[in-house]
Amino acid sequence: MKETATSIKGKFLELGVEIPIEDIEERLDKLITKFRVPLDEARRSVVNYFLKEHNIAKSDYFAGQVEPPQGESPQVSTADISEADRWVSLRGKIVQLWDNDHESISQVGLIGDESGTIKFTKWQNAELSDVEEGKCYLFSNVISKEWNGRINIDLNKNSSIEELDEDIDIDVQGPSTESPQVNTADISEADRWVSLRGKIVQLWDNDHESIAQVGLIGDETGTIKFTNWQSAELPDVEDGKCYLFSNVISSEWNDKIQINLNKNSSIEEIDDDIEVGNSAVTFTGALVDIQSGSGLIKRCPECNRSLTKGACTEHGKVEGLYDLRIKAIMDDGIVTQEALLNCEFTEKVGEITLDDAIAMAADALDQAVVLDMIKNKLVGKYYTVTGPRLDRYILVDSIESELKLDDALLDDLLAEVEVV
Amino acid sequence: MAGYFREIARRIFAQEFRESNLTFKDGDDQYAPQYLLTPTGAKVNRMFIVGTLTEKEDVGTDSEYWRGRVSDPTGSFLVYAGQYQPEAAQVLVECETPAFVAIVGKQSTYTTNEGDVLTSIRPESIQIVDGDTRDMWVLDTAKQTLDRLNLLKDGGPDAAKSVEHYNPDIEHYRAMVKQALESLKEYQ
Repeated sequence: MKETATSIKGKFLELGVEIPIEDIEERLDKLITKFRVPLDEARRSVVNYFLKEHNIAKSDYFAGQVEPPQGESPQVSTADISEADRWVSLRGKIVQLWDNDHESISQVGLIGDESGTIKFTKWQNAELSDVEEGKCYLFSNVISKEWNGRINIDLNKNSSIEELDEDIDIDVQGPSTESPQVNTADISEADRWVSLRGKIVQLWDNDHESIAQVGLIGDETGTIKFTNWQSAELPDVEDGKCYLFSNVISSEWNDKIQINLNKNSSIEEIDDDIEVGNSAVTFTGALVDIQSGSGLIKRCPECNRSLTKGACTEHGKVEGLYDLRIKAIMDDGIVTQEALLNCEFTEKVGEITLDDAIAMAADALDQAVVLDMIKNKLVGKYYTVTGPRLDRYILVDSIESELKLDDALLDDLLAEVEVV
Repeated sequence: MAGYFREIARRIFAQEFRESNLTFKDGDDQYAPQYLLTPTGAKVNRMFIVGTLTEKEDVGTDSEYWRGRVSDPTGSFLVYAGQYQPEAAQVLVECETPAFVAIVGKQSTYTTNEGDVLTSIRPESIQIVDGDTRDMWVLDTAKQTLDRLNLLKDGGPDAAKSVEHYNPDIEHYRAMVKQALESLKEYQ
């Protein structure tokens, strides 16, 4: 940690800012010791904090001010670049150039050689000439960086680019053989080549020019987002039809796994009708709170959104339709989980019908009485809910109240405390 | 996760809660939540208890301020609800004692002139429940307490902090859990 603090201090000194080492150490220590952040993450966070504090652009810090290479960097293959902060040189072919709307980045894409491909970022302040897709270059004095657990390379002021007259055979790291066919629920890791048969559940609007289509594909075990890249040159898929996606690669974005169709992939329409399942999850815990917007509510007849003070955010003042729902917060002492109960399940656990609820509210001249009644019935009790996960909710399709003491667990625990 | 997250409702027996006296904040923000670290290493802001409301009393001077005493197999919790906890206070006003109650609330501490730390709960909600729910809670809390005890030796920073501050007698807390579990057997 001391080393990290010293190196951060050094880098800021190069930018003309002196930060007391104790301040850096304190923040690092807080992150590492108290918040259990890994060293790399902690460093990142501390650097960003002080950059913000001193109003320094990130690109100045990350692109220009790295310790310059000692002499000419060794020429390596992409496959050899496995650590961050190494100065290397690399000869390769530009496999892809990506869209980039970050003003301090001039170009970003993939460069590849016989051993594989690696992402590169050419910073604006590196003042280098542009590279073209399909051409080969020698990148000298580029530095490896780690971002989101992956290694990529940065071209900065120390770097240079030289166009080469040769053609380099690229190993695009395609699948070595035909990828195994899996279910969506099995795709849990990034960077796996798989094949998948499923039904297109949704196609989303997409205005990104390098993406041909994006949406959800599902099979019996659940759904997964897919991105069909323009460069894959694959035919379009249609909503509701079933396909076999072969040789697609999984990736992680915002903690979620998705699949990508690229040049290695293929799409084949299939005749089956696949029933799309929802990967149901089960949660047992105490129901500790019910959020506002629960109980008897009104929905917009046009779009089904719930109304706030009789108005729909989309359609304004409308004659709403009554509905019952519960947005519950469950808690097992370890994590909290939000659960959404529709009218059917609200009627069941609240032991009230929608009609009775409407009558009850009319009697009291207040919709809130329904929510109060539901709270009194449910809060503080143990339930097990099951249903597909959507965003932060479980969409409840079964709810059971937990009343029977788990005798086996009781005996196990007793046995445990009796062992001396 | 960045930004707001809901504090988890921890499960703590009354005895352990009473024997807790280490409070701290995460960060120096005035809105940073306050935590109570317990001898078995639970970091408590919100808690969930189910027990028997044995006494209730209006201890307020100007406005109503209700104190309830909620007992579990190991001891009792003090619960205070006033004008800022109107729903919870209303339940205390209306209910009969004794009654099984489930309470979700925030831990709160008070340091006496002698330097003793008294712990209590400021309820967000109080509900009347049945004995089955109470038994579920005792088993749930016994399990979570044992899980914490098992992690005390080589757990995370909270456990380490607890060990440093309390030097807890693990057998003492195992006996507490045992007592709670045995109480469940007695009624069967």
